[in-house]
Parts: sequence; C-alpha cells; structure tokens
Amino acid sequence: MTTCSTYNEGATSLSKSRIRIARHEGYAVTGIDEESELIFVALMSRQCDDAFCMRICPTGAIVRNKDTGAVIVNHDRCIGCRMCIVACPFGAIMYDADRKRVIKCELCEGDPQCVRLCPTGALAFLPKKSAHLPKGDRLARRIVDLETRAVADDIPAARKEKDANS
Amino acid sequence: MPIPKGYAGNVVIIDLSKSEAQILPTDKFWREYDVDPRLWLGGDGLITKILWKDFPEGIDPMSTENEIIVATGPWTATAAPQAGRAMLGCISPETGGFSSGSFGWYFPATLKYAGYDIMIIRGKAAKPTYVFIDDREVSFRDASHIWGKETGETVRAVRDELGERYEGEIRVLSISVAGEHLVKYAVACGDATSCPGRSGGGAIMGSKNLKAVAVRGTGEIQIHSPKGLVDSSYEAINRFLKEEPTLKIWQKHGCTTGLATVARWPLRGTLLASNRAAADFPHLKNVGCLNCFNPCYHWLQLKEGRHAGTRQIGGHMTFLTTMLRNLNIEDFGEWVYYERLMQELGLDPASFSMNFTFAVDLFERGLLTLDDTDGLVLKRGDPDLIWDVAGRAARRQGKLGDLLAEAQGDLARTVGGEAVELAPAVKGKPSIQRDPRIQALIWSMGYLTSPRGGDWLRTHNTWELAFLPGNRDTYPEYIGKSNLELYQECVELLDMPRNLKKQIFGDPPRVDVEWIKGTKGKMLFMVWTENLVGLFNSLVTCMFGAATQFMMVAFGPSTYAEILNKITGWDVTYDELMLVGERVFNLQRAFNYRLKGWDYRNDRFDDKRSREPAVMGIYKGRTVPWDEMLQEYYAIRGWTKEGIPTAAKMNQLKMHDVASILPKLT
Repeated sequence: MTTCSTYNEGATSLSKSRIRIARHEGYAVTGIDEESELIFVALMSRQCDDAFCMRICPTGAIVRNKDTGAVIVNHDRCIGCRMCIVACPFGAIMYDADRKRVIKCELCEGDPQCVRLCPTGALAFLPKKSAHLPKGDRLARRIVDLETRAVADDIPAARKEKDANS
Repeated sequence: MPIPKGYAGNVVIIDLSKSEAQILPTDKFWREYDVDPRLWLGGDGLITKILWKDFPEGIDPMSTENEIIVATGPWTATAAPQAGRAMLGCISPETGGFSSGSFGWYFPATLKYAGYDIMIIRGKAAKPTYVFIDDREVSFRDASHIWGKETGETVRAVRDELGERYEGEIRVLSISVAGEHLVKYAVACGDATSCPGRSGGGAIMGSKNLKAVAVRGTGEIQIHSPKGLVDSSYEAINRFLKEEPTLKIWQKHGCTTGLATVARWPLRGTLLASNRAAADFPHLKNVGCLNCFNPCYHWLQLKEGRHAGTRQIGGHMTFLTTMLRNLNIEDFGEWVYYERLMQELGLDPASFSMNFTFAVDLFERGLLTLDDTDGLVLKRGDPDLIWDVAGRAARRQGKLGDLLAEAQGDLARTVGGEAVELAPAVKGKPSIQRDPRIQALIWSMGYLTSPRGGDWLRTHNTWELAFLPGNRDTYPEYIGKSNLELYQECVELLDMPRNLKKQIFGDPPRVDVEWIKGTKGKMLFMVWTENLVGLFNSLVTCMFGAATQFMMVAFGPSTYAEILNKITGWDVTYDELMLVGERVFNLQRAFNYRLKGWDYRNDRFDDKRSREPAVMGIYKGRTVPWDEMLQEYYAIRGWTKEGIPTAAKMNQLKMHDVASILPKLT
C-alpha cells in the first residue's frame, strides 16, 4: 500500500492506496480465543470486462487501456461526481479529497508495483486467460503426491502380508 | 529551513494536566530544541535531544514532570522497507536515567499519517483518561470504565467506542493493570501486539492516569523521489532475500531460534524445535509491521495441552530465553501462554522474570522468608506458581507482589545486606540473557555501556558465538555450509569499510577460533555496532533488517543512505550516517552523566560473582578483564579514563552546546 501510493500519487499514504488490505488481526483478548484466523485479503479493481464504473461515468472519463487491459481514469475529463464509487460492486474506487479526483488501480502501466515489491509472492500478476492454470496444476500435483505416498505406504504393508502368507 | 520531505510536518504536545493539545510545525519544534534533522534524523536521536533539553537535573521518574515521547523518523511510514517503527522514550522508572524502546505494528505509521513526527505527553490527568488523535483533532476522553481492563480488552473497548469503520483503522497504544499499578517495568503496548520493551513507558503512562492513546491517520507523507524510492526499496529487499545467508532459518523458526541456532547458547534450542513440531500452527504464517519483508511475528494457536485454544501473534525470543533460563520452564504451550500473559498484564518479561528468579535466589538463601512471600515457597519450573506471582506483581498484591513490582536495584536494597551484591543488574536494571561462558565478549560488554541499563539491545552482536570448538554446527542442515564458512561469508558481506574490517578481523579479514577467544578488535567492533544501533533507532527502522541473526550482514549504512536520500532529497553518505549513530550514543552517555553522574563506576555488573574468577567458559579460573576492555573502549570512544565524554569529542560531533556544559559538571 505504501508502494502503491508512493508510485502513483508521489506521496505515501495508506488511505490513498489503490490496493487495500482487509485485515483480521485477531489481537488477543483476555479469556477469549476466537476460532477465526489471522487473515489479510488484498482488494483492488478487478478491471471488469463489463465495468459498471465505465458504463455509469457521465463524461466518458473512464476508459480501457488497450495495451494493458486496465480500466483507467482520464483526470482531464473526470468531474469528481463519484458515481463510479457508487457503481463499483467491490469498493475498489476511492476519492482522493486532497487532489479532488477519483483513483483506482490502473495496473501501473502494466507493471503493478505492489506485485513487484511483494517479498513473499502473495501477490501475482497473470494474464487472465491463463491465471487459473498454475493453480489447477498445483492442486493436481498435490493429488499426485498424495497418491504416490499412499501407494508407498501400502507397499511394505502388502509385502508383509504376502510374506506372512507364504 | 523548510521541513525536508519524508517528515510528517507537525509535532503534537499533549498536556494531560490541562487537557490541552498543542500542534506546532516540526521545523519550529526543531528550532526550539536546537535540532538539525540531518544530524539527528528522528526516533532515538530526537528523544535524546528532547530529554537533554527538558531534564538538566534528575527527577523522580514517577512524578508529573516526567514525559512520554513517541518519535518516528524520516524512514517511518514511507515505502521504505520495514517502515513501521518508532521509539518511545522517557526517564526510566527502573534506573532514573535515559530510557527508550522500539516498537512497531501500525501505531507509529498511523501517528505519522495523522501528521505527526513526534508526540510528547506531559502532566497528569485528574482522572483516568485516554486521548484520541483523529488526524488534526485531539480529544480527551474519560477512561474510568476501561481502567482495570487488560491489554486486549482495552484495545477492543477503545476501538468500539471510537467507532472504527474497518478493522485496524484506529490504532491504540495502551497500558494494562501493571501500568495502572505503577509496576516499574510495566510496558505500553501497541494494538495488543508490539510493545516498546524495557522502556518502562507503561509505568509512566499509569503515573499520568493515561490509559491509552488512540490514533487515526488518513494523511500523506511527501517523498522526494517517489519512483526512485520504490526502485531502491525493491533492490534492497531483493538483495536481502538473495544474499542474507541465514534467511531460511529465520523463515522457518523466526527470531526465537536465532540465538539457539547461531550458537550453542544454553537455550536448549533443539528442544524448542521438537516442541514446536507438536504445536499447531494454523498457517504457520509470519506477519510483520508495515512493509516488513522479513517478519518476526508468528501466528500461533495451541492445539494440545492445558492451554489448548490459546492463540498468540508472537513467538519472540525474549519470552523464550527468559522462560527457559530464568523460569526453568520447557513446555512449548507454557511459552506461548507466557507471552500472552505478559502482554495482557502489560509486564516486561525480561525484568519480571529476572526479578522472579532473583527472588528465588534470595528465598533459597533465606534472605526472603515465607512472611515476605505471603506464604509461597518460591521455586523455578512451576508454571502455576510463576503465573500466579506474575498476576500479583502486576497488581502489587500482597508483600511479594509489591516487592517484585520494583526495579531490581531497589528490590535488592529493600531486602538489604547480601542481596545488594547478588542482584544480576547493571545500573539497577536486570541484565537478561547473559552469557555465563563469556564466549560473547562484545555482547557481554554491551550490558555495561548500554545507556538504558542492563541489556544488550544497544549492542546486539553475536559474532563470537558460533566458532568455538564444541559449539553446535547448526548451519549445514539449512544452508549446506559450516559455521566457519558462513561466518567468513558474513565478514565479506558486512557493510563496513575495508580498513575497519582489517583493524577488527586482521589482514586479510578473517574469523577463526583465535579471534573468538581473544580480545583483538573487539572493542572497535563494539563501538561500530553501538553506532549502527543508534543509527537505525533514529531512522527509525527495525533491528531485524540490519541484523536478522544478529550478524549485521543485511541492511547496512550504505543501504540506509541510498534509501534515505530518495525519501528526503539529501545526499547523506555512509560516514555521515554512522556519525549520527555515534552522536546519539554520545549524547545519551552525556545525558546520563549529567543526570545521574554515571561513569566507569556504573559500567559494571552489580553482582559480585561477575567480578570474581569465572567458573565456566573461556575465562574459567580467571577474572574477565572488564576494566581493561572498558579502558580500551573509552579510548576508542574518545572519552576520559573515567568514561566521561570529552568536550573535544562533543565538538567533533557538532554538539558544541554539550561541549561547553561538560567541563562544568566535573
């Protein structure tokens, strides 16, 4: 979030970050131990195929960048009516009261800085056509691993049984 | 002078006696306190300057005069790595001298986004109060209904009452029962997660009837070269992830095993690892403060045992070391519970466990009787007993609780007689995690010269620990290198001028058993380390960026200079930054000398045993050459043989005002 605002606004601010982190920190409270876990969820513009913000904008200030596919705000045309904030189902468009304009994730000209600076790989930037592939592959491999282990576990047992019978 | 980029731009001074807050521009404040930001940065530098001006004479730390200073720095809350830290300072309730402690999570950054580089709290509220800093608005609120609540409940109550719009919007620095009962080592705690440990800030907050400070910050911080900063941070983080040789150990076991792994420190580290395996980590997730690439918090939830269900964001080293060594408890579940308990009660685990173990010694020698302990038979290794005593100390219940709530020096004097010569303290503050074998001479010397009394956090340097024959070779398992190979690599990676390396490690610079057992170059290395600590505590950034495994081969002054220049637009260099650290350390020394008269006579362990021939380790049968080493150290520091900073040194460090005052003090 600091990287986002620094890169895009030229100043650091959590409230002007275009990516937001919903936090459940679950600080300890005496005598209460909730079941819920420590959770951080990153929220940003989905760059929707059918973008409501783009549809509702009365001045046509919200357009799609052909190169990056990002839905971007043309600040020369934006009149600050904030209808896009109302229309966005994800709360991913915000208002920068200091600069009197709406801001949203525009994918940093195709090289999202949040992804670049993420030290753990929790964020990734993938083409939408193939984003699901590594995920499916990882799951499939886990199944393969489990099966291999199951088979390996079974072999000594089976052999023992066989030895006992012979 | 305009305020450089990277600073929030304001200072808030809160007067609890009058229920008034004064907000003034940071540059005006700097002029009042004679601060050139390039010479002092922020954090510890500013705290030291403020204390130096406000307290020319000693005070009763628990009196209304004392103040709490929370100081961020130009690094804090920017896009720089590990930007979540600030320092909390005051006159120490334990020693009566200088005190400060580093803390993080999100309170410091949020304070800066609210527009403040520094927050100073003065006076005393007439009744329990908490303060809400809502960007530019500061309000004083009644805290009668939360007085008596423990840490987590306090945070929850304050956030609910102020109506945060999403979780984590409002950040709370609060005290618990220990602070309210003026336990001398009570800590303040940020968001029930990060405490400026060993600072005694909780006791001072309690003495001011201040239950909590809540802050909401929605502003922004100007940056000189935004894209340059993002690029430099990217490079620094990636260099770290690629080069830091002990990262894997850290990621797997966190800072808790840092020492156990680096050296055969008597921590029983393998025990911990096997205990850990039995515990349940829902995600084994590590979490950190703002912008942390190397987080130290572990998310723990106990599945089995009598504390099943307890969860804790923590798993920090001090809890482990003090529990194993001072309390003699080995169970993993108890360890997690201990951290949770200390946090909830608002006790500093270091001072509490040292006072407890000291009381056991006194009890066993008959210096404390059953009458003094309210009928309790004091012993180590019994968690039920110890957790019970912790509760008593935090609330000053009974004779024992009241006794243990005091600073160790005072405790020893109250008991009197032999006890005074037994207290394992320096300047009245118990010295935790001491190395009985004196394998780590630098580490051990660090207790003596620390401006805040007995701890090593201003000299955390474990370079000597891993090489001695017989020490466990822990590295191969993780990185396929022997300890000696790894340490040789660390000598290369150390961000230090080649000349200095030659002076410390020989020519060519190398570490071997001879170096470890000897004294050559050690005091020089110690001075360099102390200056480095003074530097990153003034930026403010986290010690774990500079010293993951306390090896100082990650972020060094070069990285700090590069990133700081992007933030501020300055052109500071390696040498200039190291001078900041040296300046801060020297002023802390001068401050303590002026306030308390501390000199070479106070640079020693209070217990007689430390000054007698050692019974184990390198100096077995011999006396550790404390005084010889101190003389070498003073000489390098440019101080007198009595350990007093000289006017010449002060002038050299551009502290001409201090230079003119010093001669009048002797």
